[in-house]
Amino acid sequence: MIIGLDGGSRTVAEAEHLLHRVVETLGLPDGTVGCTHFVRVADGTPHVACSLAVREAIDLAAFSALPAEVGAASGEDRTGPEEPARGAALAAAAHAAGSGGRLVVYPGRAELTGTLSVAEILARSAIDQVAVLAQAEEPAPDTLVTTGDHVRPQLRDGRVVLLTMPAADGRLMPAEVRDPTPCCADHG
Amino acid sequence: MGHGHDHPHDHTHAHPHDHSHGAEHALDQGDTAPIVDFSVPDAELSPGQLSRRQMFRRAGLLGAGLSAAGVLGAQGQAAAATTGTPTPHGREPRDGYLWLAGDHHIHTQYSSDGIYKVSDQVRHGNAYGLDWMVITDHGGATHAKIGVDKVNPDIVAARQDVRDALVFQGLEWNIPGAEHGTVFVAPGRGEVATLKEFENSFDGSVKGASSSTPQNEALAIAGLNFLADAVRRRRVEAALFLANHPSRKGLDSPHEIRGWRDAQPDIAVGMEGAPGHQAAGIPKPHGPGGGRGFYDSNPGADSFPAYPAESYKTFGGFDWMTATVGGLWDSLLAEGKSWWVTANSDSHSVYADTTDRGPGGDFNANGRYEDPVYRGTPNLTAGDFWPGFYSRTHVGARNFSYTAVMDAIREGRVWVDHGGLISGLVVRARQADRGQRGVSLGDTLHIRKGAKVELSIEITLANRPNWAQYVPALARVDVIQGDVTGPVTDRDVFTTPATKVVTSFEVGKNTGTVRFTYRLGAVDRPLYVRLRGTDGNRSAPGLLGAAIDPAGPRIDVFGDADPWKDLWFYSNPIWVVPRG
Repeated sequence: MIIGLDGGSRTVAEAEHLLHRVVETLGLPDGTVGCTHFVRVADGTPHVACSLAVREAIDLAAFSALPAEVGAASGEDRTGPEEPARGAALAAAAHAAGSGGRLVVYPGRAELTGTLSVAEILARSAIDQVAVLAQAEEPAPDTLVTTGDHVRPQLRDGRVVLLTMPAADGRLMPAEVRDPTPCCADHG
Repeated sequence: MGHGHDHPHDHTHAHPHDHSHGAEHALDQGDTAPIVDFSVPDAELSPGQLSRRQMFRRAGLLGAGLSAAGVLGAQGQAAAATTGTPTPHGREPRDGYLWLAGDHHIHTQYSSDGIYKVSDQVRHGNAYGLDWMVITDHGGATHAKIGVDKVNPDIVAARQDVRDALVFQGLEWNIPGAEHGTVFVAPGRGEVATLKEFENSFDGSVKGASSSTPQNEALAIAGLNFLADAVRRRRVEAALFLANHPSRKGLDSPHEIRGWRDAQPDIAVGMEGAPGHQAAGIPKPHGPGGGRGFYDSNPGADSFPAYPAESYKTFGGFDWMTATVGGLWDSLLAEGKSWWVTANSDSHSVYADTTDRGPGGDFNANGRYEDPVYRGTPNLTAGDFWPGFYSRTHVGARNFSYTAVMDAIREGRVWVDHGGLISGLVVRARQADRGQRGVSLGDTLHIRKGAKVELSIEITLANRPNWAQYVPALARVDVIQGDVTGPVTDRDVFTTPATKVVTSFEVGKNTGTVRFTYRLGAVDRPLYVRLRGTDGNRSAPGLLGAAIDPAGPRIDVFGDADPWKDLWFYSNPIWVVPRG
């Protein structure tokens, strides 16, 4: 089943924190897939919601342990405050449609560290495809990817796709950079 | 008339840069009334002429760019006028425009992430060849309260100290609901008060209005309306806004850009075609090893959801909106909307500089950091260049003055380059074989339907070493052409189907001047042309396919993008609009 969660997180990092907390609290098994989704509800503030795909059904009542501001949704069921529950339903629907989610928790994630070949990434994890920005062709299986220990693939047309970009030494790296320069950063 | 050279602008500056364009022919442009000629000062006009000029000014017709409706609408207005309405661009000086290099995005110790004194930036920028600069410290609570006032005496002192540079005061506006942008005004009595009121009322950080909501987007428009009102009421003589690093975080949605531009087309005039921070991709251990332009951000909650992952990256050092042929910028030009591109340093902290931020002090209490100190070791993680060192925005001004620079930017008479790729660019669209001078960048050539049109391109190849001490070699020039199809119904569209590279010229020489002519043939529909050139080191098919752009800028390699080995120039467009 697929469950949506929405705590009104303004950043991806906050949403990931919520996701990990839920996985730990509920003791969800290894096959769980957890995503973040960008959500806009009516005129509300744009924010980041989450979704979880789990193999066994979970009663939404289990989410009562979550902070009061978190809404959850699964199918037609809703729990928590109305607005967040609606955001949660949007996230769950996107996950179910196989489009737009960004995977944070997924099978094999812990194995994706250091520098790996494209073939290794595909063999070790739930990732179905490695794509390169601004390039139509898929990379050769032996192309090395500097993971930076930060691999966040996306759901695209029902497939799990890792977007990469050209990096130093002829390698690739995930298009999502781990520690982006903050706004108005001290560039020194 | 007798308006010789005794008008009030300072023409006596000892100027070390090349401003001569001897090859430009002084063809008579007809009997344009002196009221639209800004080289004729108000004082030399008769009372009747002055009255007419003021009427045109109030109507926004003088020194104005294109109307909100774009080139097609402007044509309609011109056709409707029977009293000789002046062309919005006025008359070109007899011996051509004065091309002045500048930078509208520079930070100082009055920015929370800055280091340098105003004089440090201005002296460097001037030494590296800039004629004009805009000081743009970040908007924010401290700057709005203290910095915006305190930076002014430093700017005034820099104007006195560096007499051949025009130094504007501006700020880097946190656009409500969007990215950063340069806002600056013409110097004068209302300069600081106007900027201060603007920042306190409309800065996204000051107002807690950064999220992408309709309310915040409306606040941004209100800010632009405030600037327009300040000009109308003569608080300041002129004001401009340009969006900075527009694709960096996906925050500037297509409908917001259209909204700014359409709300105040004489103030919201363009965007950075290339961001600053061009040293950020120099590889480790001798450089920051990051994304060129510090383009290392990821989509967030406020990002426009439909932007592709590629939009967060740079291509040949340029922002995706500009680098993509047939992309967002072209989609605006294809509407007939004036929207210009620039290239700036965003200088905060210069690559390999030996300066440290001044120790001690209290930014929040003083509105600035202490003066910088010598640190003795080069800062190899800094990602910026000094103003003028790498990125230049060249504007075709009618004279050497603050308002002439602002007019040139507003009118789109602008081209940009990296690493001193070329030394001069004169582009004209004209009717073929008529001996006409033609119109320049940013302008519109009006023709009879079916008249033959040609684009004349004259490039002064790099005639001196750049600041990496080599003379760059231009390899190729691309002509990009698109149909003008009028306003779009979907304000979030960011592609246009009928724009592509129509021809390319191989340069084949390294010194002197090269001239190319692109014959557009008989023109029976509105269109525009723009130019792009490269050193030819790094190319790849464009994002919309090789049929659109066979050899465009290649996506920059993260952590290994030596900016000196990948140089491009871009021009702004010229429109061609047939009548009837």
